[in-house]
Amino acid sequence: MKVDVESLIENYFEGAAYDEMFQDNRDVKDTWKNLYEIIKKLGTEELISRQREIDWNLAENGITYNVYNDPNGLNRPWSLNLVPFIMHKNEWNKVEKGLQQRATLLDLVVKDIYGDRQLLKKGIIPHEVIFGHRGFLRQCDGIEFNTDKYLSIYAADLSRGPDGRMWVVNDRAQAPSGMGYSLENRTIAGRVLPNIYRNIHVSGQDQFLNDFNRLLMNAAPENKINPTVVVLTPGPHNETYFEHAYLASYYGFPLVRGSDLVVRDGKLWMKSLKALKQVDVVYRRVDDIFVDPLELREDSYLGVAGLLDVVRRKNVSILNPIGIGIIENSGLIPFMPAIAKYFLDEKLILPQIATWWCGQKKELDHVLSDISKLVIKRIDKSNRESIVFAEFLNEKELETLKAKIKSRPHLYVAQEKIKFSTVPNLVQGKLEPRNMVCRAFTIAKDKGYTVMSGGLVRVSSTKENVRVSNQRGGTSKDFCIIDENLVRTKVPRVDNTNTVVAAGLNDLPSLTAENLYWAGRYIGRALVTSRHLRMVLNQMANNEEVVNLEQNTKLSILLRSVTQLTNTYPGFVGDKKEPAVSNLKDELISVIVDKHKVGSLAHTLAMFSNSYYSIRNLWSTDMWRVFESIHQIWDPIINEDIKLLSYKKLIKVLDRLITRLIAFMGLIEESILVDQGLLLYFIGLNLERVILNISNFQSMLTVVTEDYIEYEILEAMLHSHESLNIYRYTYRSYININSVISLILLDTKYARSLTYLVKRLKKDIAHLPHSKVKGALQDYEKPIFEAFSKLRLVSVEDLMFVSEDNVYLRERLNKLLAELNKLLYGTSKAISDTYFNHVDDQSQLTRQKFS
Amino acid sequence: MTKVNLQGKSLVNTVMDFLITHITEYSYSEEVVFGHNIATIKPRQSPGQELLEYHVDIDPKPSEFSERKDFFGNNLTRFSIQKGHKRLTVTSACKISRDYSAIKESFYSEKSTQVTLASALDSLSVNTMENFEPKQFILDSILIKNSKANIKEYALESFKPNRSVFEATKELMQRIFTDFSFVSGFTNVSTPLDVVMEEKKGVCQDFAQIGIACLRSVGLPARYISGYIETLPPPGKPKLIGADASHAWFAVFIPGFGWVDFDPTNNKIPENQHIVVGWGRDYYDVPPLKGVVYSSGTSKLSVSVDIRSLNNTDTDGQIQSS
Repeated sequence: MKVDVESLIENYFEGAAYDEMFQDNRDVKDTWKNLYEIIKKLGTEELISRQREIDWNLAENGITYNVYNDPNGLNRPWSLNLVPFIMHKNEWNKVEKGLQQRATLLDLVVKDIYGDRQLLKKGIIPHEVIFGHRGFLRQCDGIEFNTDKYLSIYAADLSRGPDGRMWVVNDRAQAPSGMGYSLENRTIAGRVLPNIYRNIHVSGQDQFLNDFNRLLMNAAPENKINPTVVVLTPGPHNETYFEHAYLASYYGFPLVRGSDLVVRDGKLWMKSLKALKQVDVVYRRVDDIFVDPLELREDSYLGVAGLLDVVRRKNVSILNPIGIGIIENSGLIPFMPAIAKYFLDEKLILPQIATWWCGQKKELDHVLSDISKLVIKRIDKSNRESIVFAEFLNEKELETLKAKIKSRPHLYVAQEKIKFSTVPNLVQGKLEPRNMVCRAFTIAKDKGYTVMSGGLVRVSSTKENVRVSNQRGGTSKDFCIIDENLVRTKVPRVDNTNTVVAAGLNDLPSLTAENLYWAGRYIGRALVTSRHLRMVLNQMANNEEVVNLEQNTKLSILLRSVTQLTNTYPGFVGDKKEPAVSNLKDELISVIVDKHKVGSLAHTLAMFSNSYYSIRNLWSTDMWRVFESIHQIWDPIINEDIKLLSYKKLIKVLDRLITRLIAFMGLIEESILVDQGLLLYFIGLNLERVILNISNFQSMLTVVTEDYIEYEILEAMLHSHESLNIYRYTYRSYININSVISLILLDTKYARSLTYLVKRLKKDIAHLPHSKVKGALQDYEKPIFEAFSKLRLVSVEDLMFVSEDNVYLRERLNKLLAELNKLLYGTSKAISDTYFNHVDDQSQLTRQKFS
Repeated sequence: MTKVNLQGKSLVNTVMDFLITHITEYSYSEEVVFGHNIATIKPRQSPGQELLEYHVDIDPKPSEFSERKDFFGNNLTRFSIQKGHKRLTVTSACKISRDYSAIKESFYSEKSTQVTLASALDSLSVNTMENFEPKQFILDSILIKNSKANIKEYALESFKPNRSVFEATKELMQRIFTDFSFVSGFTNVSTPLDVVMEEKKGVCQDFAQIGIACLRSVGLPARYISGYIETLPPPGKPKLIGADASHAWFAVFIPGFGWVDFDPTNNKIPENQHIVVGWGRDYYDVPPLKGVVYSSGTSKLSVSVDIRSLNNTDTDGQIQSS
């Protein structure tokens, strides 16, 4: 093993700053010695390989972080650097106390501000800091909550200041993210670096996870014993959707969106498959102003109209409560010492960044005269776009900034620019220093607050970058508290099995049910389409000389079937407006790879990805692995130059794709329970297969042609249907139309036959919640029942009938397929109407838009 | 009957009683499955005004109905309709007693008129128990924010450091009345203030909000008042039912004195005909009726207000509303 210490840290000391690991004399600090030794021993190659293992694990587990407007689309992999940030228990104890104190204070601030506002009346906080802050929601004035504390979940961003102490940089309370990521970081880092984690004595996070569960359960109105808790997410496009899904599935709480919920009779309800189910506690990841379009932001579709009133009646608990955004307020920083004195008669334990609130004359003058050394922020905006490092501005920009501050001074604070400490980051096998910010998580527990051991560390993307943010391509680190006296105690895992959360199909949120149904439909469509296209590609590859369809009846039928199956008219068929295309190859390839062509395989796979991503809380790890491999096969193809794609190449890709799709389907069936909605998936899947099979039968079996062509068409049909082997096994004969129809349409025992699939659908649909009514069939059960009866009442001989009027058409078969098609679409519509469309669109009574 | 006013002078009875009927009707092109609504239609207690009787009738009958006071002390009515409907009618009827003469007189008192802009800003520069509530009305609000420089320029024509705030505001009211034309239909509730300022036309809520923006631009607290106004028919003509309307005006806070009302739509310091329903930072805080409905169609709104004076009044000219 190669120990390459020199090169490990060769570039480390170029821009010296306070470093977490090294002292000024480049000695390693005591806390880090153990870790440094281990890293050194591993050696460059091993470090690179372990880092790769981490990256691989993150991708395999589908840990993603969405970046808005990212050209690479959703699901950018989360990144975790191998070298953790460590802090000794002795130091952490003080930080912990400081966080508890700060949470206690901010809780008192919120209660006061939405209560009798003594802080304003006594002049401890200038009124503009509150009344001028967009997070102060007058609608929440005087609200009382079910929980003793208003601030239940508190996150603080911490950085080490030049004095060597940890400083508070930001307070987060509306929907703080990072808890789920830090848990995943710990799991994965622990898996890849077990020896490190054992040797440095890292404290665990299990107790905190249990406390968080208890916090949510205990928040229920009137101390309800088995409350229904939901996780409210803005949806799959949110940057931290992974975490919402992760926490929901960790605790077994339904993951819902605003449109899953409704307010009636002064209570909050979840629309589930069977009926409405009362919700007691909402762990929300939607920001304050979006949660109620009736009283808050009118144009929000992320919330529930009337929610605030349910809170007012104390019929639901929202954690954190609506209105908490007022403490995400850098204007409060200068007044925190006075607030601490007023409420607790204490000094602040954790130092804060020196901050000047411009609403006071003296401070304003100071800021204006010294502006180029300062960092300017709006008190109510903490996103990085609103943070201005004045040193980087030119004369003109500075004047504009000054004018802006002068016109609304109370909206701005200026902060001292400080150089935060650096931590070692593994970059291409070497350690490099990076600025870091830690996020620590504090939650209410009993009479006080409890803090997660460690948390999440984010580091800047380059050495020079002063801003630290995941949106800008930074990376994360595990944040470990080490304690050589640590005694590991086994903490039991959260057990919510006694609660009524998501107990069975009846309670399945409608939106989840709908997503599962579409997940089934899209995978069914992907599979049937790929198989059919593969068959057609094979035929084309063998007949490359054909350029005109009139020359070749067989290819003409097959290509037309592609257009009919994928609904990509005019295609090879033509329609009222346009004739059929002339360039066969281009059209066929675009039906496969053009994702902008609705109905193409590429489009279907994109829809498939979207529908799966929105139910990702139901996934197993294996599913992610296969899902990833589908993308690895598929993504390069759709981005390739069409001219470079050959039939042979596409056939190979489809071979691999089909295998993965089947693996994925197998995993779904064993990973998701029927009560979690697998029934809906099966209904979607089989409905789609039946509908597409009918289309293929219409294209390929109803036409009467010369015998030798018919033989080839039938063989192609069996290929596409993946039934050639079964056919040979069953009939051991020359392929003929009677036997083909007997097998793939009418056989009652063959799992791929139409009759079998329709029977299966009929059975599954009968298990839907509303079907279990005695007596008559439900509206959505009738068409499938009729379809099944029709299939059972015909005979092969009947279907072979050809009249003298049209000797090219099996008209009875054609009529049957047309009827079946209509009945299946009827089933699909009736199921949607009954189960998915609970309410109409939400709209404002008066069209008004305020922002 | 005579009444003694604050100064102890003997006056003729200046109390006026009104009966007000306010009907708001929404008709929908498609059935509305259900909806949640909030109305700010129940007149609040305010100086010189007493609510004697109040009744609200909602059709279809709401499944939930509650009343509460909001942050500003306005009466909010919250209701939900859970059955399908194609028409929503909210009818409120109230009896109000108004006596604004003494108050109007106090507006002209020295305590009010002697306060200059400079001394007002000086008083406002410190935080006291008296001014911390009014001071929030200096800040930007949802509909009146980031005013452009032309608003302040417009205000500064009237506001000078050594000039009385009362006099300057009165002049501002007059100027808005003169410079802006009353054009209904040109603006709606979401028309930005800049457009109103640019085009110099709009309706009462636009004029009120222009006034507020001007006052805030020079550092004075200003609030938006939503209410009704009694209109009087041309001499010799009978009054038409429903001819009255919702109305809006503004008030300025004069430190050491209090709030003073101005109606820029009519160039008039409000008297008994100006009936107060509620106030806030701008229209957003006190919309008469808002809601979220679940439906796929569109809606049509019609509003009628009828104000009957229960006393014989002597009129003082035409009054414009809305």
